[in-house]
Amino acid sequence: MRTTRWKLLAATLLAGVILSGCTSGGDDAGGEETDASSVTGETETAAETASEEESASEEDTAAAAEGGGTLAEVTERGTLNCGVNGQLDGFSLNEGGTYTGFDVDFCRAIAAALFDDPEAVTYTDLTAETRFTALQSGEVDVLIRNGTWTASRDGDLGLQWTQTTFYDGQGMLVRADSEFQSLADMTDTTICVQSGTTTELNLTARMAELGVTYEPLLLPDEEQVASSFQSQACDGYTTDRSGLASFRSSYAEGPDSLRILDDVMSKEPLGPAVREGDQEWFDVVNWVVFATIQAEEFGLDSTNIATAAEDNPDNAEILRFVGAPGEEDADFTSGLSLEPDFAVRVVGGVGNYAEIYERNITPLGLERGLNNLWNADEPGVLYAPPYR
Amino acid sequence: MAAVAGRVPAPSASGRTPLWRDVRVLRILLQVAVVVGVAALLNYLYGNLVTNLRSTGLSPGYGFLRQPYGVDIPGSDFRPGQSVRDALAVGFANTLRVAGVGILLATVIGIAVGVGRLSTNLLVRRSAALYVETLRNIPVFLIIFFMFTVVIQGLLPPITEAIEVLGITVFSNRGLYIPFLEAQANVGVFTAVTGLGLMAAIVVMAWRTRRSDATGAPHHRVLWGLGVLAGVVVVGYLALDQPVALTVPSREGRAVTGGLEVNPSYAALLIGLVIYTASHIAEVVRGSIQSVAKGQGEAATAIGLTAFQRLRHVILPQAFRVMIPPLANQYLNLTKNSSLAVAIGYFEITRVTTSVIGNAAPAPQGFSVLMLLYLILSLGISLVANLVNRRLRIGTR
Repeated sequence: MRTTRWKLLAATLLAGVILSGCTSGGDDAGGEETDASSVTGETETAAETASEEESASEEDTAAAAEGGGTLAEVTERGTLNCGVNGQLDGFSLNEGGTYTGFDVDFCRAIAAALFDDPEAVTYTDLTAETRFTALQSGEVDVLIRNGTWTASRDGDLGLQWTQTTFYDGQGMLVRADSEFQSLADMTDTTICVQSGTTTELNLTARMAELGVTYEPLLLPDEEQVASSFQSQACDGYTTDRSGLASFRSSYAEGPDSLRILDDVMSKEPLGPAVREGDQEWFDVVNWVVFATIQAEEFGLDSTNIATAAEDNPDNAEILRFVGAPGEEDADFTSGLSLEPDFAVRVVGGVGNYAEIYERNITPLGLERGLNNLWNADEPGVLYAPPYR
Repeated sequence: MAAVAGRVPAPSASGRTPLWRDVRVLRILLQVAVVVGVAALLNYLYGNLVTNLRSTGLSPGYGFLRQPYGVDIPGSDFRPGQSVRDALAVGFANTLRVAGVGILLATVIGIAVGVGRLSTNLLVRRSAALYVETLRNIPVFLIIFFMFTVVIQGLLPPITEAIEVLGITVFSNRGLYIPFLEAQANVGVFTAVTGLGLMAAIVVMAWRTRRSDATGAPHHRVLWGLGVLAGVVVVGYLALDQPVALTVPSREGRAVTGGLEVNPSYAALLIGLVIYTASHIAEVVRGSIQSVAKGQGEAATAIGLTAFQRLRHVILPQAFRVMIPPLANQYLNLTKNSSLAVAIGYFEITRVTTSVIGNAAPAPQGFSVLMLLYLILSLGISLVANLVNRRLRIGTR
């Protein structure tokens, strides 16, 4: 009896020692992170994101909150972990492990910029409800999953959105043979919505404004929406218009059996999101997106970017852009953590914005609209900062 | 022990055991050590969580509960401007509705099937066995999903072609509407009168039981009780000038007015949970009945009880004692499985949580609230089960 008790006591003490070991181990890890971040020299942003009541312990956590080093991690790993939808034809469609789509092409563009290999991407399919947690926890490095940039997501979630890749708006899809011509007609209807999205919030607000009574049917994914729509359990389906176009093009009874109403309920800027506080990584993703837009503006595409320097020997802007600056600014470096010729890799490997759009979105029947260049014949809002 | 005993020094001069060898002191010390260890572990884990939340720029607070939820809730008068906390309250009520009704129905079906498995009638026995062996071997998620997509959405017609049986029901894949009672003026008084009638019925039943015990005359207490209740209700109904009226659903285009709406997601979830859990309860019932000594049944037959009387007065009362703990387990399972509703759009607490997390609420805090709510539900069920268990236990001294 007595020996047993002593053993128990010893075990407890041992557990205590191990526990304290864990704690100090954690501290050590934190210390290393601090060192690493001071080397890369980016420590400002994160502390500011902590809310006022935490200011007391701000100094302790500021270094940890920096959370930098995504670029180093990705480079070391050799592949990019990209979070996508996987079910959305035109944006990211997973067909037995082969991914295609607009969002997928931006994942590939980042991989091309980093590794000169657009295929060095590991994709993760995420639902609307799991996507932000997956990014916060580091499961993916960048989230390109038609997620709308909003103030509260930017503020509360510890994420930040880079340059928008697709300017969208929420629309409503109905059966082609139904009597609905606008949202105001949709009294007493049931409307399918994906749960955990901004669309359910917009729908509620818009319908209240119109004074239309309806019932939402909230479903977790697109396949469920499709089956509910087919059995006529809902009269309408609402999501971003791009999503509706994609849904329509792959609908089992053919695209002509469905119709998208003219109403646009909201602004939906869709683009890549990264964890907040890692400016280096943010800049990488941001400038890869800008490169595709800038290339289109320069008239450079996957066919001619390799020879851009020889073709435009007098255009200093293009020479800087392709990483072969002319004599007068031969020592030009952007300071971004990207190779000087990253734009060549991106455009050569994946294409410029127009190519990406035409490859993925045009087949859905969506006009470019807002997604035109700022100086196009029908101007849109795509505008890249100068590369100098 | 001999070797150890050999090392035990002689008691000290005062004859008292030193503190560090005193069993009572050691016992307390050990418990203190365990408590401190557990507290240190929890503290470490909590600190770790908060540090990591801060390092990813997330707030460790619960402020999101006060934010507006922003979405309509089908089948309730919840306004989108109300807070997430209020939405959770509606979700909790809906979870309770599924769990409560589900437990009741699953118990009734489970007992019937469980008794059926021991029937002497071959057809009944085999049917019950088929029910149990099929349903308990299919994942409950699949059953619920099947009920929703195939049965409700697939077999029922769209609202514009709804089935209207005798003009008093509207069945469509958008809702099942059935006739129901609708409150009129005086309904509060009528509810009170009905309550009084129920009490009167219980008193009368007790009186009949006592009389039967004293005189040996048949008690017929159920008939008496129902008679008293019906009498009071009818008198109250007439005296209060029809405090409740029947409302019948009627459909015009897509709009249905009147009647009681059964939400299709609710129906699918309820049916799925009930038929699945009933298959498990049936096995619990069968096992408990078989655990009653065989001689009990033989003795009951020997004194001339009918098959039903044998079950009602001899077998089931003894089987119930064995049944309570595993039955409570099944009730807990049913309650927890109701979270699968998230796949078919029924509005309960898991759905509220996942949807607020999708719209910028922090995941660790959101899920901790969700877990707390399930814990409250489960502990409540365990508490009731333990009370019943204590009451039914064989008295021992």
